[in-house]
Amino acid sequence: MNTLSTEERSALRDSVHRLLTDESTESAVRATMETESGYAVDLWKQLGAMGVIGLVIDESHGGSGAGPMELEVVMEEAGAALLCSPLLASGVLAARLLIALGDAETMGRLLPGIASGSTIATTVLTGDTGCWTEAGVAITASCEGDKWHLDGRGSYVLHGQNADVLLVVANTDDGLMAFEVDPQVKGVLVEALPTLDRTLRLAAITFNGAVAKPIKTALPVWGAAQQSIELALVGLAGEQAGGARKVLEFTVEYAKTRIQFGRQIGSFQAIKHMAADLLLETESAISAARHAAMSLAEQSEKKNEAVSLAAFACADAFVKTAADGIQMHGGIAFTWEHPAHLYLKRARANAYLFGSSVYFKEKYLQALSMGGETTGAGE
Amino acid sequence: MNNQVNDEALRQEVRSWLSANWGAEIADVLKKEAYSWEASDTRKAWLNKVVDARWAVTRWPEEWYGRGLSDDQAKIVEREFALVGAPGAGQDRINLWANTLLTAGSEGLKQKLIPRLLRNDVNMCLLYSEPGAGSDLAGIRTRADLDGDHYVVNGQKVWTSGAAVADYGMLIARTNWDVPKHQGISFFFLPMKQAGIEVRPLRQITNESHFNEVFITDAIVPAENLLSVPGSGWKVLNTALAYERSSMGEGARGARSGVTLATKEEPLIALAREAGKLDEPSLRQEIAQAIAYKRLNALNTARAKADLEQGTSSSIMSLGKLAMSRILHEEGRLRTEILGAESLLEGKQYPRAEDANFLSLNAYFTSIGGGTDQIQRNIIGERVLGLPKEPEVDKNIPFRDVRTS
Repeated sequence: MNTLSTEERSALRDSVHRLLTDESTESAVRATMETESGYAVDLWKQLGAMGVIGLVIDESHGGSGAGPMELEVVMEEAGAALLCSPLLASGVLAARLLIALGDAETMGRLLPGIASGSTIATTVLTGDTGCWTEAGVAITASCEGDKWHLDGRGSYVLHGQNADVLLVVANTDDGLMAFEVDPQVKGVLVEALPTLDRTLRLAAITFNGAVAKPIKTALPVWGAAQQSIELALVGLAGEQAGGARKVLEFTVEYAKTRIQFGRQIGSFQAIKHMAADLLLETESAISAARHAAMSLAEQSEKKNEAVSLAAFACADAFVKTAADGIQMHGGIAFTWEHPAHLYLKRARANAYLFGSSVYFKEKYLQALSMGGETTGAGE
Repeated sequence: MNNQVNDEALRQEVRSWLSANWGAEIADVLKKEAYSWEASDTRKAWLNKVVDARWAVTRWPEEWYGRGLSDDQAKIVEREFALVGAPGAGQDRINLWANTLLTAGSEGLKQKLIPRLLRNDVNMCLLYSEPGAGSDLAGIRTRADLDGDHYVVNGQKVWTSGAAVADYGMLIARTNWDVPKHQGISFFFLPMKQAGIEVRPLRQITNESHFNEVFITDAIVPAENLLSVPGSGWKVLNTALAYERSSMGEGARGARSGVTLATKEEPLIALAREAGKLDEPSLRQEIAQAIAYKRLNALNTARAKADLEQGTSSSIMSLGKLAMSRILHEEGRLRTEILGAESLLEGKQYPRAEDANFLSLNAYFTSIGGGTDQIQRNIIGERVLGLPKEPEVDKNIPFRDVRTS
């Protein structure tokens, strides 16, 4: 995977920041989250034109040819602005799965549309268990002659209701295989799932003998799925770190302006100490997310360790910051009008999107136990 | 003049001086020396050479044993010393005592002590904290009263390392009780070897004694030993504290037993494995979290350093001490949890218990020493996040009217 220079990355951050400051304002987010699709078409097109959706797609396929470090930076901004979009579903999970599978014909046909945003793709990797593991695969595929059909119910499909293309991992008699499915064909039922986080879109997709096109690959299919999930985890970690930083920023700002007992509430140690603790959590989350992105970009042998660490550290930091942020505001943040709950709901959703903090702590310990020596950056 | 040539010439000069003077024999002797408050004769002899050759404080002017070098050139010298492992260079950055004295000392005191300080020929200690002035250091009540050409000092200091062997202590004492607390403090080099000074070791909860209490009764300090002017002690103190912080690395210590496990695995994982508890799911979660705290702190530090190298100052540095407190307390707690009943025991036959208990108790060294976690949170809240200070009821009234416990 490629990496831009530090200057290019910083320019990318600035342009995404400017776009989202203009287009993903709180009122825009509130309007978008109440729509059926859950994303704003204009903003989506602009993200495509800017090269953000196709960030990790090669230039030969219409993308930007960047990698995990750039994705992480963009997602920090997306988290701060509560961006509502199928970016993680289409530009990350689906794009990365196609690239990992490596079938030239499918990539040539699908990636340019994904990169521009004109095609929205998503992945069906898990079912009602919500386990993003090989054992969590819920779809089965069978063939008659050279025709493949899918059966079963996939769930927690990101932006499934908006997808033009479904990439499905299914069990077959010969192990896992990957398929491309047109959601419009007979035997596919897409049901939007109601979500606590209204900036998120999830669907359950039932396959009932739906026709599917196998995607050729030289790799074990779950290995490809893992590459897709780990890139999504890095993106998500960036989103969580950026969200946490934003919440702390507006909470501290409020603590400087809100007067009680004749003093700014931020002068009370009860508030000040909470803020100091949250700064530690937030800065640690940023460090963890960026380190995971770098490990993935460099294909470090410790990338599993780094990605698992970022997965739970960033999830926990965002949830804690968003939750404590509400407490520090007091009553005002218990109202629907205040943005704090939007961040708490995003934080809670993010923390369980691809696995829980408990799950990633276990994975982290396993990676450490297998890795043996564990000297890391700065030690 | 061509800087490039200058730099190279300087590098060559240090190198040839080091190759002529530094050798394996001295390195061996110095390496084997246990860390001590008193310098050995070998060390002093080496520092003599370094000072005489003007490598000790190259940024300082020539009249004070320096060469007036730029910071970049001084670093060339320090780097050459570091490459061969020779001590003594860069004291203009890290010698707390000499730097403080050069900044604010009287001419007579500087002439008398700076050469000796650079040669480690004089032992020093810090007389700052008092039983009644810990977090609120500006609340000190040790007094220094002018009497002709000297001050008479009375009071009590605490947490003083090296007091028993010290020749001088850097002392803050109150010289004016009629002005607000920060304004009535003065800074002295107090001679320690005199009748009015009594040093008593403090026994810590770890059963070690690294610190002392110092009782000061009618001790004499010559007026010449006053730094700067009366009442400006708080400012001098802050200069000194800045040097202290820049010269101190992370002071945290690891396991006491010295027994290192054969693997290079994370110590907590190794201990849990050895104790047969690595399969306990709840413990695994806690171990993962404890290791994560440590790793995240290392990542933060690495990021802060990278920011600094790019010229942007980082707020993360101030978080390190708070992070380290949690890391150490958590590691102590988890080691104890892994051992269970074994942690009831102590002594050389039970090194695992020794380590767990020592770490648990010594964690307070970091969470209280050098500013409690609570004070640290105030500093982060106020200086990094820009939150307002608490109203200070004692800030603008004469110190003699300030309430005391």
